Amino acid sequence: MSANIAEAATSAPVATGSRARSRRTRTAFEAYLLLAPSLFGFLAFLVAPVVIVFVLSLFSWNLITSPQFVGLANYRRMFTDSQSWHALLNTAYYVLLNIPLQTVLALLLALALNRKMRGSKFFRVIFVLPWMAMPVALGVIWNWFFDPRSGIIDHFISMLGFTGPNWLTSTTWAMPVIASVNVWQYTGYTMLFLLAGLQAIPQQVYEAAAIDGTNALQRFFRITLPLLRPSMFFVLVTNIIGSFQQFDTVYVMTQGGPGQSTTTMNYYIYQQAFQLFHAGYAATLSILLFAVILLVTIVQFRYFRKRTIYDFS
Amino acid sequence: MATKRIGRRVNGTTVYLLLAVGGLVSIAPYLMTLNAAFKPQSTLLSTQAWTPAVPATWSNFTQLWQQYDMSGFIVHTTIVAGVITIGQLVFTTMAAYAFARLDFPGREPLFWAFIAMMMVPQIVTLIPLFLIMSHLQLIDTYRALILPYVFGTPYGIFLVRQYFQTIPADLEAAARIDGAGTWAILRRIMLPLSKPILATLATITFVNTWNSLLWPLMATSSERDEVVTVGVAALQGQFASELHILLPAAAVALLPLVAIFLLFQRHIVRSIALTGLK
Repeated sequence: MSANIAEAATSAPVATGSRARSRRTRTAFEAYLLLAPSLFGFLAFLVAPVVIVFVLSLFSWNLITSPQFVGLANYRRMFTDSQSWHALLNTAYYVLLNIPLQTVLALLLALALNRKMRGSKFFRVIFVLPWMAMPVALGVIWNWFFDPRSGIIDHFISMLGFTGPNWLTSTTWAMPVIASVNVWQYTGYTMLFLLAGLQAIPQQVYEAAAIDGTNALQRFFRITLPLLRPSMFFVLVTNIIGSFQQFDTVYVMTQGGPGQSTTTMNYYIYQQAFQLFHAGYAATLSILLFAVILLVTIVQFRYFRKRTIYDFS
Repeated sequence: MATKRIGRRVNGTTVYLLLAVGGLVSIAPYLMTLNAAFKPQSTLLSTQAWTPAVPATWSNFTQLWQQYDMSGFIVHTTIVAGVITIGQLVFTTMAAYAFARLDFPGREPLFWAFIAMMMVPQIVTLIPLFLIMSHLQLIDTYRALILPYVFGTPYGIFLVRQYFQTIPADLEAAARIDGAGTWAILRRIMLPLSKPILATLATITFVNTWNSLLWPLMATSSERDEVVTVGVAALQGQFASELHILLPAAAVALLPLVAIFLLFQRHIVRSIALTGLK
């Protein structure tokens, strides 16, 4: 766009075809020069690995000796391996535990902050602090909080007259505890995006609705939520993609246990590749995870596109 | 009128109460960990977990440093995260400018190829990356940690490109008439106007690299290049019940990022939110 303006400005007085063409060639040359490093990184460390992963899924490889071609054996194994389905279900359960809770809490906080008030900048800074915490360190801290019987959480529960469960050794509670790390970490960050969305809604819409005699609840469901869809879409898509890739907290807190109750897909893939040395099978499992994430993302795109007037350009 | 004002004040109080609780929950783990790091081992559980570290003791840190090369971990992580952040800032700015402002054949399909790759989960690339790095005999070196991420990410390019598009094109057109080349425009016009987004990109990159566990776990195995995440995770495995070693280590892992964030927060809080909008 700007290049065109510049081009028109410089070549207008002596508008010859060949000068315009050489100008265009120079721009293209410059563009690819600027893009070269990123393009190299993109091809070598993103596109090539994605191609390799599909090739690798047809091989059996122990990370050391050279890979052996096995055809579709890894795929057949994946569909009959009950542990892979279990890991997929665990991952879905983890996503369901943290996404709705974190989104609702973030929306509440965003609504609370969406007004002219003292200290709103201060609160925004405070709420973003959890986002940058190292999940590995949080695993250590949450282990301390949820220490059975003498941890802070169980101590608090006993003050109320109840006995807390053995959180991390319970197949029922281990996953919710791990999800709580993520909820703590991403609620404030999610809130920032929703707040920006709320602030982009023109005040006149609300004024017009108030004149029409609507109450606050109606305004929330008929105006705020529909007009917040672009932000909600972004937040859900990115948070869900992230949640499907849970690894760090599981690795530090439970190593997938007790039993297999917190073995997420990423953790199972890591185990297969780097503990059991089934790298070819792990590659196949990572394709399954990719497919699931792609599917879930497409479903969200379709759901939101039908209901949103939104320019993606 | 009067009842309405009272109603609004009650409403205001509830809002502040909600925000205060949220704020407290957000910072409590940081404060409790920092506090615990300076307390003797016997006072870290049950009733005493809440008590302030008075008098504060450095002995936990001394013990941690005696048993573990924490300084090494921090130095390694700082090198890796620093190099990746600087590389991403430079290369992402260049690529984003080309996508935002230069007209060249193949621009649209290339841009969409970058966007499409944003959906690829990290683990998909990691096993092939391990294959590539072992072929190049780079496993267990800094280069294995740095190379895959130093050239930028599709997300970063998308972020900066969107921001560049909001900068009026007239400025550049004027500069071009005055004979400025692309490089000069990038340095003298785009960069000064893009400080908020570049601060954001720098923070996101540094935070992500500092905190990342999975790739360093796969790609490193010796003390000469191990990073903080791998070190703290190993500590947790080794000293699972020795909180007076673990909690100071967690504090050391967490606090540098908080410090950096507070330094840049003016830019970041604003533009993190902007990245979610178009």
